[in-house]
Amino acid sequence: MPSGPAAPAVPVPDGLVQDGPAPAGPVPAGPVPAGPPVAHAYPQRPEYAADQAFEPGSGLHWMRLSRRHPWERRIMAAVWAVPVAAVGAFVFAQGGGAAGGLLWVALVVLGTVLAWIVAELAYRSYGYAERADDLIVTHGVFVRRLIVVPYGRMQFVDVTAGLLERWMGVATVRMHTAAAATDARIPGLPAAEASLLRDRLAQKGEERSMGL
Amino acid sequence: MSGPYAPGPYGPYGQRPPHAAPPPGYGPPQPGQGPPRPGYGPPRPTFMPPHYPPPQYGPPQQPYGYLPQPPPPVRFSEGTHRLHWATIPLRAFVFMVIYFALLGFPLLLTRTENGARFLDAPEVLLRFLVVTVPFMMVATGAALWGWFAVRFRVDGDDLVVENGVLRKRARRIPLSRVQAIDLVRPLMTRIFALTEVRVELAGGEQSEIVLRYLGRGAAQQLRAELLARAAGLPGHTPEAPERPLWRLSFGALLGSLVFRLPVLATIVLFFVSLIYMLLFREGGMLAVAVPALLGLIRAVFAPMVMYAGFTVAMSPDGVRLRYGLLETRMQTVPPGRVQAIGLVEPALWRAIGWARLEVTVAGYAGERQALSSVLLPVAPRHVCLYLMSQIFPGTNVDAVALLPASAKAIALDRADGAGTDDAIFVSRHGWPGRRTDVIAHARAQSVRLTVNPLQRLLGLATVHVDAPPGPVRVAAADRDLGEARAIVESTARRARAARRAGGEKARWAR
Repeated sequence: MPSGPAAPAVPVPDGLVQDGPAPAGPVPAGPVPAGPPVAHAYPQRPEYAADQAFEPGSGLHWMRLSRRHPWERRIMAAVWAVPVAAVGAFVFAQGGGAAGGLLWVALVVLGTVLAWIVAELAYRSYGYAERADDLIVTHGVFVRRLIVVPYGRMQFVDVTAGLLERWMGVATVRMHTAAAATDARIPGLPAAEASLLRDRLAQKGEERSMGL
Repeated sequence: MSGPYAPGPYGPYGQRPPHAAPPPGYGPPQPGQGPPRPGYGPPRPTFMPPHYPPPQYGPPQQPYGYLPQPPPPVRFSEGTHRLHWATIPLRAFVFMVIYFALLGFPLLLTRTENGARFLDAPEVLLRFLVVTVPFMMVATGAALWGWFAVRFRVDGDDLVVENGVLRKRARRIPLSRVQAIDLVRPLMTRIFALTEVRVELAGGEQSEIVLRYLGRGAAQQLRAELLARAAGLPGHTPEAPERPLWRLSFGALLGSLVFRLPVLATIVLFFVSLIYMLLFREGGMLAVAVPALLGLIRAVFAPMVMYAGFTVAMSPDGVRLRYGLLETRMQTVPPGRVQAIGLVEPALWRAIGWARLEVTVAGYAGERQALSSVLLPVAPRHVCLYLMSQIFPGTNVDAVALLPASAKAIALDRADGAGTDDAIFVSRHGWPGRRTDVIAHARAQSVRLTVNPLQRLLGLATVHVDAPPGPVRVAAADRDLGEARAIVESTARRARAARRAGGEKARWAR
């Protein structure tokens, strides 16, 4: 019996916390501490502790993006930084002398370094896994997200690649559902893998399609 | 009990002979009060002269007074149809009104020493006519062209709308994708009894079909035919019968609109500033009074005109709404097309048990979302709950026990909570006003878990159950992280089970 946090003990109604095979059968009544689900009731269920919340679960491992993805973001940041630094330095040098220009360049360099670090963090935060009935994606550096998209709900899947992405041989796979908030996209996949993933998702979606 | 005047127990005149034995089962006879009235069955006529023809024989009787015979039904599946002819004069008229306001009226004025004045000289009239007559011809021509361009027909399970005279463009709409059908009667079209038919579809740009305008009867027939075909029935199926559920009286609507904290505060502010202005001759208070008045118009009078005479009815074709004072709207949302429902209870309404219902329907987007997202402007809470149980059949929102959000969350009160059963996911939040958002598992599009930086410090997370864009956002906020992930998994599993169980049918009558 896991010990819960300081949350008030509440009688657990049918199902929010524990996770029976739906339709759920009778549930154990009585106070159950909030926190990890009642593992004793359904021992076959994965147990989610707080540090397991962003794991794929059911013995799966996250599929990671290509190592080229952070480099694509870094090159993008550098490509933007050079003209911004040049134009800003020119303007500040005209107005406030060399010190202003140097300060601006220093700020842009700092911003670029931060962008490079964030690119690495974003790469590490990204992961996706194809489960039996849904695709599960996690990402986010500042706001962490975990998105579960059922295959039957995908209206279409598309693969896009910008100029730089194409040159580096990566592509972005995006899943569209009727909900705009879904926002499930996987950037930085090797191009061949991206189109394979799209075909797999499209096929699974076709098999399970439910309409709207 | 014999003779020509007593063929039955009550005789031809409905009078029971006083000496006759009482018929069994009616108790003792009441002398002098005529025949005993049967307690059930259709009321029988007490007097029927022998020469009066029984109503079931002969041709159908014309009722007194003049009643126009309904026109023969139009079959939209046969042949190609056009809009109502009165669309032409209506469009030309609207065009001429705009023309007159912008150009025609100034033409009638003549500049004199005392400013612009109206002179009834013949040359002024001639000048006016010389400009107006070509404009009128252009307006009529354009309206005729526009009428000529649109043709539509029902072809099998599709609605086909053709546009254009020279360059033709046909749109073919599968009726199984219809999300809602609205009949709109703007004020302008009342003269000709015209109706606009809007067919809402799911997804993407231009996801609606607008037929502007049809005759009143034709529009209703088209709606009945489209709904029947969308349901999977033959197209000539008559419109499904409806069962009235709730009718909103004008007084209740006005009272509910006023009886809200922000509105009451604005009314007080308005009168205080008015009194202050009159007492102290302080013109500057207008800067307070005028915005307050505008706000009141927006918050009270606009909804009052829009939702006057609100009626909700249930039918096998879905929920039917009728409302509007100047512009009458009749919405039909077929079963399974409501994606999510929100039960909104402002602070004061909660005290007296009123609530409002908002819905997300996939077809409505943008401006139409705001126009069409209200399912019930105000009603007693139990009526709202009943309607919710009709839309998501077999569910009871109040019976779903809600687990409060984590105690670690920073919140004004502990009102936030979420709960689920096998059919619906419910989340509740807000204080002092409260809203309860409900989505059926069968309609959930995706499930998301988000952790913002503050939540990460506290070890919390929010679970979103996504619906198509609309006023209802279902989210269980501030759950413990591990619990949140368990909710995600269980919701995904329940959604899968609900979809497999056939929770949605594109054709609801099959």
